[in-house]
Formats: sequence, C-alpha cells, structure tokens
Amino acid sequence: MNGGRLGVWAWRIGILVAFLGAWEYLTGIKAISKTPGLYWIDPFFISRPSVIAQRFAYLTSDKVRLTIWQMALSTIQSTLWGFLVGITTGFLAGLVLGRYERPARILDPFIVAFNSLPRIALVPLITMIFGFGLLAKIVLAWSIVFFIVFFNTFQGARSVDADLIHSARFLGASERQIMTSVVVPSALAWTFASLTPSISFALIGVVVGEFIGGESGGGLGYLIIQSLGTLNAADMMVALFVLGVIGIVMALGIKQVEARLLRWRPEYQKR
Amino acid sequence: MARVRIAVRDLSKTFGAGPREVAAVSRVSFDVHDKEFVAIVGPSGCGKSTILNMIGSLLMPSGGEILVDGERVGPRAGRQVGYVFQKDTVFPWRTVEQNIALGLQYRGVAPAEIRARVGEAVALAGLQGFEDAFPATLSGGMRQRVALMRSLVVNPEILLMDEPFGALDTHTKLNLHAELLGIWGARQQTVVFVTHDLSEAITLADRIVVMTRRPGRIKLVYEVKLPRPRDVIALRESAEYLREYGEIWHALGEEFQERAS
Repeated sequence: MNGGRLGVWAWRIGILVAFLGAWEYLTGIKAISKTPGLYWIDPFFISRPSVIAQRFAYLTSDKVRLTIWQMALSTIQSTLWGFLVGITTGFLAGLVLGRYERPARILDPFIVAFNSLPRIALVPLITMIFGFGLLAKIVLAWSIVFFIVFFNTFQGARSVDADLIHSARFLGASERQIMTSVVVPSALAWTFASLTPSISFALIGVVVGEFIGGESGGGLGYLIIQSLGTLNAADMMVALFVLGVIGIVMALGIKQVEARLLRWRPEYQKR
Repeated sequence: MARVRIAVRDLSKTFGAGPREVAAVSRVSFDVHDKEFVAIVGPSGCGKSTILNMIGSLLMPSGGEILVDGERVGPRAGRQVGYVFQKDTVFPWRTVEQNIALGLQYRGVAPAEIRARVGEAVALAGLQGFEDAFPATLSGGMRQRVALMRSLVVNPEILLMDEPFGALDTHTKLNLHAELLGIWGARQQTVVFVTHDLSEAITLADRIVVMTRRPGRIKLVYEVKLPRPRDVIALRESAEYLREYGEIWHALGEEFQERAS
C-alpha cells in the first residue's frame, strides 16, 4: 500500500523533472548554428525554466516596486472576499427563493437573463463603476460566485425531503425550527458541492479584472498584462506558476472544510 | 371499555379529479381506544397508509372526519401525536444521540434533562457505543431504532406507525417487535400500526382492522385474543396464534383472489 503510493509519487516527480528538463534542453538548441535568435523551439515565446527561476527571484527582491508576493496577496484578498461575500449572499438568496415559490417564479427570468450574460463582458463596466482598486475585482468575483452558489442552494432548498419536514413537525418543531434544523442543513449539502467550482471561478474573475485593473489594485493579472506589453514570457510564466499554486492551495483548503462539515456523508465516513 | 381516543367516521379519500379520479379509501369507520394497539392490515394499495396519513394530518380527508380526543383533526397534528415513517427519516447530518434529542430540543427541554432522557432511550434501544455515530454508518435496523426512539423520547400519547419495519429482515423485525412490545407495555401509548404483514399485526396488536382492495373498505375488525405479555418467538408456534392467523388469512385471501380473477 505504502509502496504503491511511493511509486505514484516517484512517477509524478519523474514526469515533472523530464518535462522541465526537456523544456530547458529543447529551448537551448539553435536551428542554424551561430545564427543568433533562431531556435527550434523559441524561448522568446515560452521562456525557459532557468530564466523563469531567475525572474522569480528578481520579482521577489526589493529591486521591484511591486513584489510578486504583494501581487499574490492582492489577488488572494480579492478572490477570498469575492468568494466569501458570494457564498453568503448566494446561500441566503437561494435559501429564501428556494422556500418561497412566488417570488422565485417572479424573479426567474431576471435571474436567468443576468446569469446568461458572460461576466467577462461586465469587466469594463464594473471597473468604471468601482474603480481600479480591489473593490472592482471583488465585485466581479462575487458576480460569478453568487450565481453558482445561488443555483445550487436553490435546488437544495427545493428538494428537501418532505418526510424529514413532516417528522420534524411531529416531533414538535416550529416553522423556524424546521428551517434551521431541516431546510438549512439539507440545502447546505448542495451548497458545499458548489464551493470548489466557486473558488476557481472567483480566481478567474479576479485575474480578468486585474487585466484591465491597473497598478493600484495590481495583482497577478496585472503582472501578466504588463508582461504582454513588454513581451516578457518569463514574467508571465512566473505569474502563472504562482496562480497555479494559489489555486491548488485554495481548492485543497475547501476540500478540508467540506470534509469537516459534511463528515456525516457516506463518502466521508472512514470506517 | 376505555375511552375513545381516535374516532374515524365515514372516512373517504379520493386522489386526482375528473376521469382520473381514484378512490383510495371509501367510507371507513372505526374507533381506537385509549392505550389500545390497533393494526391496520390489507393488500398493498388498499389505502391503509392513506388512513394513517389522514389521522396524522398529512392528508386532508375527502369525506367524513377524524376525531382525536373528541376534536376534529386540523391541518396540523396535535402535540400528543408521534409518527414513525416507513421511510428512513433519521436526519443524516445528526448523530444517533442528536437525532434522539431532536424532539426534546424543539420543545425547549433543559440540556441536562435531554442528556438524561436520551441516555435512557439509547440504553433502551441497545444503541450504546453508537451515540456519536452518523446514520450512514448504521444498519437499516439500527436507523429504524433511532427513528423509533426519537418518536418515543417525547412521550407521545398516540403513536402512528406506517410500516416502520417493512424494509427490515425477519430477524431484525422480530427483535424490534419484542422491543416495541416492551416499551408499549411500560408506557401504554395508544398505537395505530399499519402493515401488510399479517403475522406482525397478530404479534403486536389488540385489534386488527382488515381492509379490502382499493377502494379500501373495512373487511372486518378482528379481536386478537392472545394473552399479554407476548413472547414474539414462542408465540409463532402456539396453537392460538396459528388459529388466528388462519382466520384472518382466510378473510384476506379472498381479497387477493378477487384481484387475480
């Protein structure tokens, strides 16, 4: 068992090393000897691991105005705020509309219409309204997360097992107690299922917002778009690498929270 | 004779409307006395669960009425009524202990008393060691024990049970029969128990209401004369049990035959 896991990790590391090695090696072969600038695989477009590492070191040093850590922090902050506000508002709205049929029917076309709008198209408008700081990115992330969580919770609140509500009523529950002890926990199971996609989409929203957001709310998206301006593939790669790490850490964090809160579910029962 | 707790008067229920209308229950009348254990037996689809649902205010009658303690049942069941569903209605996100505590929490009972009463119920149902287990880790029989204890811990005077052991294997079922009879003997609730299992009805009940096929009418009301306390295992080999079983089976058998023709 343990040996099997070790083998899996050996493979993973092997693939990574082979990939980085091939990247480094192939981008070093000249197409025509001694002619500068002509490569089989041109590092101008995809850079090289060694160069990326150097740029990473440079971007973390105090020689730059905005270090990569500051940019990462900015991106993380916007993402987490957008995510938190998105899940709270999405959950509450989903719960209320899931339990009250009439307002849900009335609002349905508006919700569908707004949700079908590609959120990316809103970026300039949101930036115009909320400025170039963090707020615009948070609003953008919220506008995506809200709907994901909303639709899931809405479905969850609607599909609460009627017999669970009946049995609560027979045990003497008031309408408020039914809400807190039956409807909310049932709906939460659905809400949690939407958290992992939500955090990824929040990150997407924030990065896109940063593309046009300028330096004041400058996150990793800002670094990427700056690097496009200077045709600097290495810096883009640094930003992508850091974004990847942020994405993985956030997704793992959510998984932990989910496993804790949904520990009653069969798939989380370890025995 | 003890006072009448549940009076079912000329009760009818139809589902749907117009040409698709289906009569599920037709003009059923019977009484359930205080501290009596009444079973309703009949072929599937005879409306026996529908009757129980109407007593428990889960469905409104189409005709006739039901009186509980002399009062016509409204859209909400009274607090003296408990209900055990056939389906698993244990809350999956609550542990065994938290499930049994539900009714007491709803009623605002003090935490110390909740702990004491839940502990007692856990012991009574033989669930020690599983207090903190989530339902997903329990067998069907244990989950139904939790559901039963959850209903009993609030001491309902009237207990409505809708095929509560229907999904369980025979062995588990017999154990639960013994436990139910023990609890009922000690607490003396009024019980209405719906089942399609005739031997279950004879083992448990004082009286058995035998239903016809749809639309459900009362075929006969049978008085079970077996002495109490009953031993659920030994009972099955006694001559009285077999005689009673034969008599009711004969009446029920006609119902199954009619369907076949």
